[in-house]
Amino acid sequence: MSKPNSGEEKLSFIGHLGRWINWPKFLLATGLTFFLTSILFPFYWMISSSFKSYAEIGSVRPVYFPSTFRLDAYQELFNPNSPQFWNFGRNLLNSFRVAGPTAIIAVILSLQGAYAIASLRFRGKEVFLNGVLLIYLFPAVLLMIPLFAMLSQIGNVIGFGIQDNLWILILTYLAQTLPVAIYMLTNYFKSIPSEIEQAGLIDGCSRLGVIWRITIPLSIPALVSVAIYTFMIAWNEFLYALVFLNSSEAFTVPIKINMIFNDPTPRPHVVMAASTITTIPVIILFLSLQKFLEEGLTAGSVKG
Amino acid sequence: MYHLIQEASGWSPGANWDSLRAREARLAWGLVSPTALVVFGLIIFPAFFSGWISFHDVSLRNLSSIFSAPFVGLENYHEVVSDWAFKFHSWRSWGAAITSVVYSVVSTALTILVGLVAALLLNRKFKARGLVRATFLFPYVAPIVSVAFGWRWILDPRKSGVLNDLLLRLGAIQDPQAYLSTRGLALILVIAFTAWRYFPFAMLMILARLQAIDGALYESASVDGATGWQQFRYITIPELRYVLGAVFMLRLIWTFNKFDDIFLLTGGGYGTNVLPILTYQFSFSSFDFGKGAATAMILLTILLVFLALYVGFFVRRGEAA
Repeated sequence: MSKPNSGEEKLSFIGHLGRWINWPKFLLATGLTFFLTSILFPFYWMISSSFKSYAEIGSVRPVYFPSTFRLDAYQELFNPNSPQFWNFGRNLLNSFRVAGPTAIIAVILSLQGAYAIASLRFRGKEVFLNGVLLIYLFPAVLLMIPLFAMLSQIGNVIGFGIQDNLWILILTYLAQTLPVAIYMLTNYFKSIPSEIEQAGLIDGCSRLGVIWRITIPLSIPALVSVAIYTFMIAWNEFLYALVFLNSSEAFTVPIKINMIFNDPTPRPHVVMAASTITTIPVIILFLSLQKFLEEGLTAGSVKG
Repeated sequence: MYHLIQEASGWSPGANWDSLRAREARLAWGLVSPTALVVFGLIIFPAFFSGWISFHDVSLRNLSSIFSAPFVGLENYHEVVSDWAFKFHSWRSWGAAITSVVYSVVSTALTILVGLVAALLLNRKFKARGLVRATFLFPYVAPIVSVAFGWRWILDPRKSGVLNDLLLRLGAIQDPQAYLSTRGLALILVIAFTAWRYFPFAMLMILARLQAIDGALYESASVDGATGWQQFRYITIPELRYVLGAVFMLRLIWTFNKFDDIFLLTGGGYGTNVLPILTYQFSFSSFDFGKGAATAMILLTILLVFLALYVGFFVRRGEAA
């Protein structure tokens, strides 16, 4: 079979030279090399830049391989005693405080919604399902102004601030992610044979009992991928956080990175360090649950 | 399905059927109501409210008493359409409306093309294919802020920028270039970035379809002496037609709505201003919410045209199937 390894490819290329060039293999190896380089280099550059010193980052020529692992940039982010301190830990905590509840609430609500759509008969189901799906073609910028105006009205009446209120963000992220989450879960629930639920109902379980004892345990992988998907969306979200957060104390990670980037004295290594910290959990989550997530990506056409 | 089984198994307790069914419906609505509430309150209602704002003079001043904002008819729309940043001037300065359409159409086409090539590569068998496939998805799952700033750092205008360094060493350029602040080049780079970031989505969808093509088609084609190109042209492409169309429409709509990518790369400067960024600037830089909402409504109108095409596509597909 053909091999992607460029070293072996070279050998076979030279070996066949003059007799016959194996074009398909050659094209495959070239294509893969091109893709892998253009995908991995930016990530390599981000991670390696984060370990450079201020001198290395500001040198005339780019330093492709940092001489030593310098933690200067990470010191600036986390160490309160460093001359320039960004209190990034606080922002990481904010991001967790937004993404965590979003994921948990999204799992509960989409579990309810998807179960109703997959296993129950009710009037208005089609309208609900189509309406929910149409919504995720809606532009976020369209909703940003009315949400801002609406929530400041409600805030004035009830007496809560919409600026720097992380619950506002959680609510808007829920509205954005629930349609896809419900769609992903509905597809999964439909694949559970209804005989199993029937058996539960006949044995005297209530509907809620069936959901709790049968449906949920059978759908753990799907529920986990919904949680990861919503967590990632909330973790990565930029626009609403930019609109609704004002003080750097309340910033989520993406907005804080934007702020560090726009600092009058450019500090690329700090930006790259913060980016690295933001990216690593997402990539790890993704790799560990890749199989489920990919099914979700294709089945639900996850918005991005 | 479930109800057929229910009835076939004779389990449905005749007399109570209606009340049981009513109970089922009540339970169902109870289950979907939180989602319905969130979606209605935070999406459907605001969408209509945005229309209302676009006909009123709303600024930071009267935001707290928004319902007493004066009605101004189409004035906001008129202001947007005649705004320097919105309208087309010359071939050198397109304005946000044209830039938006060009940016979304070209970058979507490029995204699909790159996704198709990636899917064809991954459809071959080779060692570590699973790992390579997972790696191909990195640009799509990584946070937008990280990848956008990563690329900005690579395209840094100083001599220490990676691209500048490479091109200087190769002798392709004499002086370091400010890639993202050069009109024309900036738009091309933003399009390339969009394709880099979103091709994995197209790739996954195309790959799923590719793997569902009946291998017998290729076998009989090669028995008949078809070349690789002919097999691609007359078997693969026709089989992929619908998925390519669907992915194109979806990505077109999403790209048209996109704010973050361009905002983080260029801030909307140097000929890359698009409608979502213009909406943001009108509302949260000049705090003219009415004008911002009018821009968003224009964006929505163009989007509805795309949507009509999308629905039309699926209706035709449904008829064909």
